[in-house]
Amino acid sequence: MTTNGDVLIRVENLQKAFGDFHALNGITEEIHKGEVVVIIGPSGSGKSTFLRSLNLLEVPTGGHIYFEGVDITDAKVDIDKHRQKMGMVFQHFNLFPHKTILENITLAPIKLLKKDKAEAEKEARELLKRVGLEEKADSYPSQLSGGQKQRIAIVRSLAMNPDVMLFDEPTSALDPEMVGEVLELMKQLAQEGMTMVVVTHEMGFAREVADRVMFVDEGRVKEQGTPEEFFANPKDERLKEFLSKVL
Amino acid sequence: MSDFKARFIMNFIKDDRWHYIADGLKVTLIVTFCAVLIGVVLGFLLAIVRSTYDKTGKLKILNLICQIYITVIRGTPAVVQLLIIYFVIFASVDVSKTIVAILSFGMNSSAYVAEIFRSGIMAVDNGQFEAGRSLGFNYCQTMIYIIMPQAFKNVLPALGNEFIVLLKETSVAGYIALQDLTKGGDIIRSRTYDAFMPLMAVAIIYLVMVMIFSKLVSMLERRLRNSDH
Repeated sequence: MTTNGDVLIRVENLQKAFGDFHALNGITEEIHKGEVVVIIGPSGSGKSTFLRSLNLLEVPTGGHIYFEGVDITDAKVDIDKHRQKMGMVFQHFNLFPHKTILENITLAPIKLLKKDKAEAEKEARELLKRVGLEEKADSYPSQLSGGQKQRIAIVRSLAMNPDVMLFDEPTSALDPEMVGEVLELMKQLAQEGMTMVVVTHEMGFAREVADRVMFVDEGRVKEQGTPEEFFANPKDERLKEFLSKVL
Repeated sequence: MSDFKARFIMNFIKDDRWHYIADGLKVTLIVTFCAVLIGVVLGFLLAIVRSTYDKTGKLKILNLICQIYITVIRGTPAVVQLLIIYFVIFASVDVSKTIVAILSFGMNSSAYVAEIFRSGIMAVDNGQFEAGRSLGFNYCQTMIYIIMPQAFKNVLPALGNEFIVLLKETSVAGYIALQDLTKGGDIIRSRTYDAFMPLMAVAIIYLVMVMIFSKLVSMLERRLRNSDH
């Protein structure tokens, strides 16, 4: 457990409304350095909205988000700078189809961190080697399997050296046989001390890797705790019902 | 056959009449080339404003202006626009007819190009946009590095088609007495009283230009497609 580390992200009374629909109804949470937080909940519960709010892909309609002490919901803050430190992995990978794998990985480091091409490519190749995909460097995304694409998407985020990784249902679009390779890589990251916030339906991953599991429903955090107590002894009625369906 | 030869000589060789065709072709090519440039640049800017508004809701007033521009340009015939620019806007200014034609056809094309580009931009999956932004690229960088290259590939066939239309559209430049290819053929007809030869020559030249251009576009398309299978 590393929950005693410094606070990396602090969320205060976070609200998000889409017209009349309130996706988030005041969430207050802290995410600590090195912590792995898994968020579960039924569809439409607001869990993805919550995650996407953390790097302001969804702009909150109320409340504050402090990332490394800076209120990123402040309009004066250069959000692009802070996003460089927050990696995000999407359900549908969102690799750039017009670029090779190597270019996918090096684009942001070269353009945003002003690394020179040779250095960025060297680092990219090292990362590729780590995930066992170095021979795919010059392939295009369409030539890869889903699991490979998602591993590349993770590598692409890692190339920016982020302080936190946000995962938005990273295995939901994968064939079942490819889920394992992606979860394995995420597990490795967690073991290396990466701070991670993961929205997922993979209860096995939550049980095994999470420091804290959070149940989100109706735009609120209904219950949370260590995986042991969370799964063994759920208190919230909705959570009990939810767990009975997914476990 | 000897009749054909005699007509050919009368229409093109005698008095160096082929010059009307050659000079006209030069004017047509210059006007088309410059108008394409204006059309692409202006159309691109219009498309950026329109799609930024579509995506983010910003640039409301600029978007309204662009929308009016596009509506007016697309809603009126190119000949009428040409005449208005020459006889109304530049009525009291001595300006080359070629420049007027370039401006007129360029502006006309820009409205169509704008909508072509916009549809291409909007067709790129929003996830691409989010991936770019989440890496820390700002709106412009995301557009330039990630969205535009994909949008361009999407719209290349439509864009090629627009250029073909533009090339042929310039044939109405004779309305302001600009001696383009069509007008050149027409002048020969008025000299020789033979309609068949000069008009066929003009038609064939347009056809060949369009065929060459179509070939170039499809080659470019194939090359771009190769890059991502």
